[in-house]
Amino acid sequence: MARMKFLLDSDRCIECNACVTACKNENEVPWGINRRRVVTLNDGKAGERSVSMACMHCTDAPCAAVCPVSCFYTTADAVVLHDKDLCIGCGYCFYACPFAAPQYPRLGNFGSRGKMDKCTFCAGGPQEDLSEAEYIQYGANRLAEGKLPLCAEMCSTKALLAGDGEVIAQIYRERVQKRGYGSGAWGWLTAYRESVAI
Amino acid sequence: MMIRILALLAILVLGLGAVPAMAQGTTASPSLADERAVQALLRGETVHGRITIPDQRAANLIQPEGRKWREFHNVTLAWVGGIAVLGMLALLSVFFLVRGRIPIEGGRSGRTILRFNAFERANHWMVASCFIVLALSGLNLTFGRHVLLPLMGPEAFTEVSHWGKYAHNFLAFPFTLGLVLMLLIWVKDNIPNGTDIRWLKAGGGLVGHGEPDSGRFNAGQKGIFWITVLGGAAVAVTGYMLIFPFVFTDVTGMQLSHMIHSITAVLLIAVMLAHIYIGTLGMDGAVEAMTTGQVDLNWAKQHHNLWVAEELAKGRAATPPDTAKAAGAD
Amino acid sequence: MLIKRSEARAGRQRLAAAYAGLSSGGLDRRAFLKQAGVTGVGLSALGAIPLTTMRPAAAGPVNHAEPVTRVKNICTHCSVGCTVTAEVQNGVWVGQEPSWDSPINRGTHCAKGASVREIVHGQRRTKYPMKLVGGQWQRMSWDAALTEIADKLMAVRQASGPDSVFWLGSAKFSNEGSYLYRKMAAFWGTNSVDHQARICHSTTVAGVANTWGYGAMTNSYNDIRNAKTMIIMGGNPAEAHPVSLQHVLSGKEQNRANLIVIDPRFTRTAAHATEYVRIRPGTDIPIIWGLLWHIFQNNWEDKDFIRQRVYGMDEVRAEVAKWTPAEVERVAGVPEAQMRKVAELFATQKPSTLIWCMGATQKTVGTANVRAYSILLLATGNVGSAGAGANIFRGHCNVQGATDFGLDVTSLPAYYGLDANAWRHWSRVWGVSYESMVARFDSQTMMETPGIPTTRYFDAVTMPVNAQTGLAQRDNLKAMVVFGHGGNTVTRMPEAVKGLEKLDLLVVADPHPTSFAVMSERKDNTYLLPICSQFETEGTRTSSNRSIQWGFKVVNPIFESKDDYEAMYRLCGAIDAAAAKRNMTFRMQAEIFAPLEVIDNRPTPESILREINRGAISTGYTGQSPERMKLHMQHQDKFDLVTLRARDDAPESIRGDFYGLPWPCWGKPEWRHPGTHILYNTNLHVKQGGGTFRARFGVERNGVSLLADGSYSQGSELTDGYPEFTTAVMARLGWDAELTAAEKASIQAQGGSASWATDLSMGIIRVTMDHGVMAYGNAKARANAWNLPDPIPVHREPIYTPRTDLIAQYPTLPDRRAFRLPHLGQSVQNRAKDLAPNFPIILTSGRLVEYEGGGEETRSNPWLAELQQDMFVEINPRDASARNIRDGSWVLVNGPEMPQGKATRMKALVTERVGPGVAFMPFHFAGWFMQEDQRSKYPQGADPIVLGESVNAITTYGYDPVTFMQEAKVTLCQIRAA
Repeated sequence: MARMKFLLDSDRCIECNACVTACKNENEVPWGINRRRVVTLNDGKAGERSVSMACMHCTDAPCAAVCPVSCFYTTADAVVLHDKDLCIGCGYCFYACPFAAPQYPRLGNFGSRGKMDKCTFCAGGPQEDLSEAEYIQYGANRLAEGKLPLCAEMCSTKALLAGDGEVIAQIYRERVQKRGYGSGAWGWLTAYRESVAI
Repeated sequence: MMIRILALLAILVLGLGAVPAMAQGTTASPSLADERAVQALLRGETVHGRITIPDQRAANLIQPEGRKWREFHNVTLAWVGGIAVLGMLALLSVFFLVRGRIPIEGGRSGRTILRFNAFERANHWMVASCFIVLALSGLNLTFGRHVLLPLMGPEAFTEVSHWGKYAHNFLAFPFTLGLVLMLLIWVKDNIPNGTDIRWLKAGGGLVGHGEPDSGRFNAGQKGIFWITVLGGAAVAVTGYMLIFPFVFTDVTGMQLSHMIHSITAVLLIAVMLAHIYIGTLGMDGAVEAMTTGQVDLNWAKQHHNLWVAEELAKGRAATPPDTAKAAGAD
Repeated sequence: MLIKRSEARAGRQRLAAAYAGLSSGGLDRRAFLKQAGVTGVGLSALGAIPLTTMRPAAAGPVNHAEPVTRVKNICTHCSVGCTVTAEVQNGVWVGQEPSWDSPINRGTHCAKGASVREIVHGQRRTKYPMKLVGGQWQRMSWDAALTEIADKLMAVRQASGPDSVFWLGSAKFSNEGSYLYRKMAAFWGTNSVDHQARICHSTTVAGVANTWGYGAMTNSYNDIRNAKTMIIMGGNPAEAHPVSLQHVLSGKEQNRANLIVIDPRFTRTAAHATEYVRIRPGTDIPIIWGLLWHIFQNNWEDKDFIRQRVYGMDEVRAEVAKWTPAEVERVAGVPEAQMRKVAELFATQKPSTLIWCMGATQKTVGTANVRAYSILLLATGNVGSAGAGANIFRGHCNVQGATDFGLDVTSLPAYYGLDANAWRHWSRVWGVSYESMVARFDSQTMMETPGIPTTRYFDAVTMPVNAQTGLAQRDNLKAMVVFGHGGNTVTRMPEAVKGLEKLDLLVVADPHPTSFAVMSERKDNTYLLPICSQFETEGTRTSSNRSIQWGFKVVNPIFESKDDYEAMYRLCGAIDAAAAKRNMTFRMQAEIFAPLEVIDNRPTPESILREINRGAISTGYTGQSPERMKLHMQHQDKFDLVTLRARDDAPESIRGDFYGLPWPCWGKPEWRHPGTHILYNTNLHVKQGGGTFRARFGVERNGVSLLADGSYSQGSELTDGYPEFTTAVMARLGWDAELTAAEKASIQAQGGSASWATDLSMGIIRVTMDHGVMAYGNAKARANAWNLPDPIPVHREPIYTPRTDLIAQYPTLPDRRAFRLPHLGQSVQNRAKDLAPNFPIILTSGRLVEYEGGGEETRSNPWLAELQQDMFVEINPRDASARNIRDGSWVLVNGPEMPQGKATRMKALVTERVGPGVAFMPFHFAGWFMQEDQRSKYPQGADPIVLGESVNAITTYGYDPVTFMQEAKVTLCQIRAA
């Protein structure tokens, strides 16, 4: 089975936010929940780079490690998912996540958290594949349809790549070799404990 | 600033040199945008940028502190909590086996003296019952996954944990209120003085014989009081930081809050176990202080001789037990 | 490890349902529909209008058990022309998929394109016709609304004449809609018909058309992949045209190309540049001349190209000589070394392309800027070949098409102009007599006089009528019909508000109420007509690269909205009824729509396109039949990414075509001209999309030939320059004999003589192409455009400039008249000079990726609105700290022409994107006006989610002399902490 990963080529990312709205569109993510976002580093200065970030579906995922109710699971494609019927909205995954991926609707007591929501790599959730229940709770299941996450598929400059880790690393490697520069695959070191060797 | 104070507090009050130093989010401006270079430059600090959505915590691109927090939660806290709670239980068991139940010297007199009035007792039990639920629901978040989940299965465990979370959040308020009241009504009797030093020197009477002098509260009880008040304050303050996410602090602050909160809490639990032991199983005649409020005069003389003398001098003579009531009054 | 569970447990915690209504504006689709249903019933009960006319946007996630239809349309936002692939189930748009086959976007989108599905959820759309009654919106039926509107229009016509109605059209129209609107205005009898191009690229069109013939991008987004050096000057495509960056960055990577960004602001585009040049706003000409100074100094110019294909370059040399490195640094602030480096790269590492946008055009010197840019390209021989050219990124999805079809106060469709020949040509196409058209106007003079441009409509409302000092027409503007246009897009909003309040009638036909509906204090005589988006209808749109794409209907118009075609047809019918009621003989509907196919009150876009194909000869809009356009959409995957040409594996019906048949696509559809990917490309045969510079300006001037010298398109029988073809030129060459009998008969029927552009038989084009010759002639491009106010561009300081010391040397133009109105220059500049010390910060404006245009549509889309929730001003840290302004805090901004004591309120974004002394604002916001929140003035439920101050409350007087383009890029302001 493939080991699914995201790879963001920050030399291509222009902060157009297509990934963000594509995600909203595909998964009908409500206002205030941002499964994906674009952060600009060194804004307005030489060396400015924008990076689109969501759950990276880490190897040895910290969220899964700290979850008090053990609601996370890893699919055969190495996508890190969670079961909202088990989540209690404690927030621990947010403390542990290096990428600020977990999102919470504010609906508990004292404005505290509802059930955690995050990027599913467009792979749905524990409900039956492509069922309405799955869509309503988790959003689309594009992997089950044989497609990849819409954020990456719609990325305006093809900066955001999604797919089998080896394949996208190879695409990135060729790109860097061709153009002669590369700022590294953002988040890989943190998420996968490796970078793309050029 | 708040964070720094809390960190100091943690280290001073709890003597936790082991709390990992949390670097503050003073983002340098690296000239390169390579993840590796940026992280090296920041020495593991948060990589922070600009974002257009109002949720400014999303502007943190990478926060490696999460890794430290995970290490803390899964390793440090588990060990400290485990050792503190189980260790204290073990210690008390051994103590009980060795020392046994401390009897009332000379047996019960049959005469009692009012040690805690109804308000004091009610407040104590409010705090105590909140504490027990908070402690259990708190321990559940750290240990439940390993202890209860395999027993109950995921759905039932989530149900329990979910209600536990609600209970934890809601009971925080009466718990805090009770702590404040405790401070107000008992602080005057808990100011350390010379007697305490002598009491401590004498080993509190727990070891060996010969109970040292003691006022309303002996040094041990004063210790409990201050641990409860200060530890409770630390737990409460950090708890409110967590209950209102991102209202007072950012994710780094919340991680730190959680660290202080959980370590203080497990230590408090350990101390409270000792408190419960000594107030019930460990000492004959103690539990009435918080049930009826009336303690046997002999017990009182044995453990709080100065207080008894003071009370008697004030003319609040010891009340005879209910059974002896008929003798004079009617 | 957990496993999948059965559906039985589903829905205990519903993601969407749990969130509904808990956050501001964050309604999910299901919750919205529930509410919409409720309101729908309530309203229909009140208005006693049957609910059946309301078409709810019933929805639900994709049901994977049922078939899904895929429909292709084109994104309705910018001009890149991204294909949108909609998944439709039971008449509901349920999902968007990447359009991998499109050679333009190859599956990708920007934030706007990836969220267009929301447009047909239409949460905040205008749902039914409404009118203002005593300041309150009242629902009404289409028939009632049109009857009232038509009656009021006829009242204005009777009292003040046809020129008192202003027809503001839209770059959101399809080509067919644009054409129909222009035709409708012509039949109404006025030239006051305009659209967004006036305020975005009118100066580009004027500038490049006056240089080499046509007012359009010469190459394409895809062709940028061939460039070795790219200069992006006065444009921020990373935000304005994000998908274009796919081609720009691929080109940059694959060719290791130089990407030079010249801009006052360090934009998201600049972040990817190999060289960034920061200039003072308003100094484009000094920069271009400064670059040319180095080029001429070092003999880097393309001497052969200049000799063969450029007229008047020597006069440019004389002007350029003044722009020594020292003078450039003094005026624009760029050091010599950097100028020299950029000049060398651009002139020597070829092919080089120059990309520009509204940073160049929205200036008092807009046309001159564009001319200077074009001259730089000519001097370096970078026009008419792959990887080179003027890659002008236009704004809206069909602003190119709407311009081409004459939503322009100076021209009939296809740039024929307004003279009698033009009117005669279009009268023939329309099948009406020229005389009958003249009768529709106030006079033949007014018929041939350019109308009121949209930048000045309010001046035409308020200014006294006086041919010398005021408005030069019979009466003021009294009524305004707006299709698809925002009110906050034009400078001097406080003045615009006064104008709107004086109008007798305001009609806003749009999917949204737009800022026109709320910005003034109008209480009555204001109508909203719900128009559907292009996703709910069909037709072609022309991308910036002149490729024409057919959009198929995704869903039926939602709620009570109608498409532009039907709305115009019904409006014309209502006008006829109103005229009949007044016993006037004036009629519109029958004659306008006679040549068209009308089904259920809706003229079909196919029949309109066929009429365009018959008449738009001059621009080569003749080969693009509906059938060919639909075939291209069907076989998108067969076109090459870089050349845009259909490969050999393509079906015969499209093989060899350029994608979207970019105009000019000469002759009749059956001739199978492939379209023109690169304009003026002499390396191709004219039948294969080759071309020459157009001979539009005669054959010689002052004894110097204007025709090309030894340059000609491949395979041409004429190996030197030649004029444009007429029947007379044909006869002289003896080629007239090659015309068929039918062609001859056609020419005979239109009077015996014709030019290539008015020959409805297209015989002249056919015969010339057979000879490998371009019917429009083969001339030199003009470095000297003698018909313009500045034949050779010269630097002129902005009217409101902080460098008052430069005004004496580089003054703006003297006061003059144009477009029926006075055009003030130096008188305003002289007054502004004294105000400058009080307004020390230069204010410039531009786009955000999330929003578009006036922004009402995009600010109503929750997926986009969430990403930009506040109007802001970018301010340099130095200026911010001097004013005690923190990042994210509120500030007050005012400008020199705002009413005394007024200010706008917005958030500060403290950033080094702008240099010291410069502030930047996005121009998409409206709904707050000088600190007044106007949300309550929107019809209930149709207010955009995000409101904010408009930059145009602050912008000031200043117009380009050629097109009346507004000065939106350089003015002055003061900022203080709120």
